[in-house]
Amino acid sequence: MRILVVDDDREIRDLLARFLERHRIRVTAVRDGREARRAWTNGHFQLVVLDLMLPGETGLDLARWMRSQSDIPIVMLTAMGEETDRIIGLELGADDYMPKPFNPRELLARIRAVLRRAGDAGDRRTDPTARALLFNGWTLEPGRRRLLNPEGAEVALTGGEYDLLLALVERANRVLTRDMLLDLLRGRQAGPFDRAIDVAVSRLRRKLEDDGRNAQLIKTVRGGGYVLAATVERR
Amino acid sequence: MRFRLWRLHLWPRSLAARTAVVLLLGLAVVQAAGLTIHALDRMELLRLAQAREVAARVMSVYRNLVNVDADQRAAALADMRRLPGVEVALSDSPAISDLPPTAQPERQLLRVSMNLVPMPGPLRPHDIQMLGGPFWHRLTVSLRLPEGGWLNVTLHVEPPSPWHSPDFLIAFALMTAAAALLTLWAVRRLTRPVSTLARAAEALGRDVNAPPLPEDGPLEVAAAAAAFNTMAARIRRFVQDRTELLTAIGHDLRTPITRLKLRAEFMEDDEQRRKMLLDLDELEAMVSATLAFGRDAKSTEPVSALDLAELLRTILDEAGDAWPEAAEKLRYDGPGHLTVQTRPLALKRALANLVANAVNYGGGALVRLTPPAPGTSQGGMSHGALTIEVEDDGPGIPPQELDRAFEPFHRGEPSRNRETGGVGLGLPIARNIFRAHGGDVTLANRPSGGLRATVTLPV
Repeated sequence: MRILVVDDDREIRDLLARFLERHRIRVTAVRDGREARRAWTNGHFQLVVLDLMLPGETGLDLARWMRSQSDIPIVMLTAMGEETDRIIGLELGADDYMPKPFNPRELLARIRAVLRRAGDAGDRRTDPTARALLFNGWTLEPGRRRLLNPEGAEVALTGGEYDLLLALVERANRVLTRDMLLDLLRGRQAGPFDRAIDVAVSRLRRKLEDDGRNAQLIKTVRGGGYVLAATVERR
Repeated sequence: MRFRLWRLHLWPRSLAARTAVVLLLGLAVVQAAGLTIHALDRMELLRLAQAREVAARVMSVYRNLVNVDADQRAAALADMRRLPGVEVALSDSPAISDLPPTAQPERQLLRVSMNLVPMPGPLRPHDIQMLGGPFWHRLTVSLRLPEGGWLNVTLHVEPPSPWHSPDFLIAFALMTAAAALLTLWAVRRLTRPVSTLARAAEALGRDVNAPPLPEDGPLEVAAAAAAFNTMAARIRRFVQDRTELLTAIGHDLRTPITRLKLRAEFMEDDEQRRKMLLDLDELEAMVSATLAFGRDAKSTEPVSALDLAELLRTILDEAGDAWPEAAEKLRYDGPGHLTVQTRPLALKRALANLVANAVNYGGGALVRLTPPAPGTSQGGMSHGALTIEVEDDGPGIPPQELDRAFEPFHRGEPSRNRETGGVGLGLPIARNIFRAHGGDVTLANRPSGGLRATVTLPV
């Protein structure tokens, strides 16, 4: 397992490489687009951690180029609060984003979650450029990380709820085990993870107007797990 | 009280009304004077003409009578009685009636007029007495006949009217009304720039990026507008410079904070590492708030449909996750769904700031959403404003500090501040965002204790 880290700050590059290698992820760290392209041709990577603000070629251009080469997962480091960067990045096909300054452990959790999603054997990852996933009248827009109700109005989701719903929708009609869901929420939520999942699911049901007692959309599976019972249309 | 109201009524507060009152009073005085001069002049003319006519008629009656022989006078008298509006009588002494003696100027005028009537000297009346006048509508002239005895001629006379016909008065009234309307229009037009300037100053106070005043109209108005625009531009540049400075510092702090967070991961002492990460989180929150404050509240975020009720519940859920000890005291009260057109991320940040304040200072939050009044709904689109109230049970804010709470970097008293306070930008950011959306947020202490933030948003 080897990942490519692109960041123009040498200290951050070195520290991040040391931190990730401690957690058994091998890292090639480069400073800009030129070095990234050179490393790309020499090595084989499972994931790219990409700072959007790079000298010379911008992170967005680099992401676009990488996306044209392969569907390698990309985790973007965005300027804090720059929502437009985030939206453009996600629409461009980044799999996740972290605002800078990021929490190293949270970044590690995101990297692992993205890798797990990508590596899920036989599981087709959502084409990151897909504009919308439609189910039961609801619309999930991965590019903008938002959910629209059947009337077209946005329904607010917390970060954890969004990740959970995206996982369920991407694997509609398949059971997601508790372990998989825990992985998704790790680093997002405070408090005990077990309870966090139940809470997030019950809130999702409320938002999707799915009756908790007799859930039709997000069903509880005996033995621990959830399944989204719906046909998903991709656009 | 009544007296003051009356005075207020007489002397209005607004510049336009005051100018109009002065101009209209002046106009009324000038018109009244003109009308009086005209009327006096006309009455003088009429009096002269009337005196001449009366003299001619009286003298003609007299002459006719004097020219006939004494024995035929009774017959002549009978003839003359047939003339309309004239009573003629003979008597031994001057006539006495209920009419008072004629006023001196009129008597003078009539005598002069009668003397002007041509007649041989010996025949002229030796004495003339008069009773009544135009004021009494009747005039009796007694003339002493040359051979003795008196001829009494009573005429119907009209007092001279100051104007010829009612049309004159109507025309006069119309002219006055037209002048008054013109005055009102001109005054309103001339004083409009003053209220425009006041409105612009008010708008600038709320939003430094308010559109500039149009620099047109009369020279003085254009100059004032230009001066105002220059002042607004200077204020804008000043605010921008400060904001850019803040934003630059915030941007530059991100790299060192990231490095420190990474370095903390290599610390051996778990307790120290945990504390250092908490410090860094706090530092990050401050930088994040500073950057959010520096960013243009309108930003580039597009307007889209959002379920506001669900957003409020999500904010409360997230607050409950962040402060589990307050989770029990976070409540939502309002409709299940309410779709509004807004900028979701900006609105969420503003509302989350209010909820975070309520939790930090009051240990909980009650969020109440009131949709716009149904009566204002038209054609499926609702107009008017919705309100969102965020209440807590904390100690509130001393009344004199309620306004200062919205000043950037102002923080409540340390005694009310918990250890993990913000930088004092939560409320300013929230207010910037609400105002950029055409709404506002105000703070008030609840009578039952605690603070209430009231948000109004037009929809």
